[in-house]
Amino acid sequence: MGKVIIKNLKKNFGDLEVLKDINLEVKEQEVICIIGASGSGKSTLLRCINALEDASSGTIEVDGNDITRADGNINKYRQNIGMVFQQFNLFPHMTVLKNISFAPVALKLKTKEEAEETAMKLLRRVDLTEKANVHPEQLSGGQQQRVAIARALAMNPDVMLFDEPTSALDPEMVGEVLNVMKQLAKDGMTMIVVTHEMGFAREVADRVIFIDEGFIVEEGPPSEIFGNPKNQRTINFLNKVL
Amino acid sequence: MSILELIVQYWPRLIAGLGLTVEITIISLILAGILGMVFGLLSVSKRKGLRAIALVYVDIVRGTPLLVQAFFIYFGIPAALGIQSDPVVSGVITLSLNAGGYLAEIVRGGIESISRGQMEAARSLGLPYGMAMRSVILPQAIRTMTPALINQCIITLKDTSLLSVIGVTELTQTGRLIIANNYQSFEVWAIVAMMYFIIIMILSKISKRIERKMSYGKSNN
Repeated sequence: MGKVIIKNLKKNFGDLEVLKDINLEVKEQEVICIIGASGSGKSTLLRCINALEDASSGTIEVDGNDITRADGNINKYRQNIGMVFQQFNLFPHMTVLKNISFAPVALKLKTKEEAEETAMKLLRRVDLTEKANVHPEQLSGGQQQRVAIARALAMNPDVMLFDEPTSALDPEMVGEVLNVMKQLAKDGMTMIVVTHEMGFAREVADRVIFIDEGFIVEEGPPSEIFGNPKNQRTINFLNKVL
Repeated sequence: MSILELIVQYWPRLIAGLGLTVEITIISLILAGILGMVFGLLSVSKRKGLRAIALVYVDIVRGTPLLVQAFFIYFGIPAALGIQSDPVVSGVITLSLNAGGYLAEIVRGGIESISRGQMEAARSLGLPYGMAMRSVILPQAIRTMTPALINQCIITLKDTSLLSVIGVTELTQTGRLIIANNYQSFEVWAIVAMMYFIIIMILSKISKRIERKMSYGKSNN
């Protein structure tokens, strides 16, 4: 489980064509890093995968389910796709424990006791057990993002999407979040990560995708993309960021 | 008669008037709360048609004077339908519809003040829209809405005085009837004003306490 197949995906915002023709196949347990300049469409691509943006045309299959034609099933499909946001988006009126255990209980997938037990296990995994009963505003950015990862994992998803998970963090907190993500990759999670962290992409990604102006311009293993980029636009971009 | 003597003599009638004022206020606010919540939710809906319904309602409420609304509901509609109307019932309907429109705007503003990421995070976990709204958005929105909600309660309480013109014997009408007996306009209006003032001061004090409690809860829980 954890397979994503994107075919001929296009996305317009009004007259603006953000994604022009995206074809991408993500294998089970594969870690994909999507890089590109801001405005290149990489976040939009990620948001289309769990239908936070509706695709204008094309298909997106996750574990055999077509997200673009979900109709009444989108909530069910989304349970299988974890999402981590740049701005964390923790629920400020809930404790850390409630943030993580809330959705499985509300959706009647687990009892409160089961969900809290799972939540505590996940907090151990992100090394924040002592923060279970505080509210998000009392956590640092890095801690909040680790809780957000735990919250997404609580739904036991097959695929995890990360939308620039470290871009809103102070530099000294980036490492703790990336470490959690590295561990997750090691545990075999299928991951699609939009990131500006080239070091992370080089170290963890199985495949790096460079997006520019709504197209996948170049893709390949990190050693190829970073060590021997072929396309001039990739070279220009990497010269700017490295 | 001195003010004190007037108060003593007319106490039962004044209290009855105040009682009706408070009663109409509470019932109207409960109904307005339901209307406000429904139309507030419609106005943040993704569907254009639903938003349009809310917009029309709010525009009608805001675009016409309360007094005209009261006349329309007490005189206009019953005349057209050929039915007998009751002043208190008409008054409650008027105030409910009126406050409902303003509350809908408060609800809309409260929901829109919550960052879009909250809804997206909830939906990304697989929560249906209604559940996300109820458990994630509204609890946060109500916090920001509280001062405006309390303000609307006070406005509606004061607006009940307009119902005196359709013959509801709430506090203001009671004052007019008493003056019709004794012609002591200055004293009686002073008493009536004071009674409104006291009840609204009590309300304000309670609201301050609620607001403090809510902000306290936010930073310390």
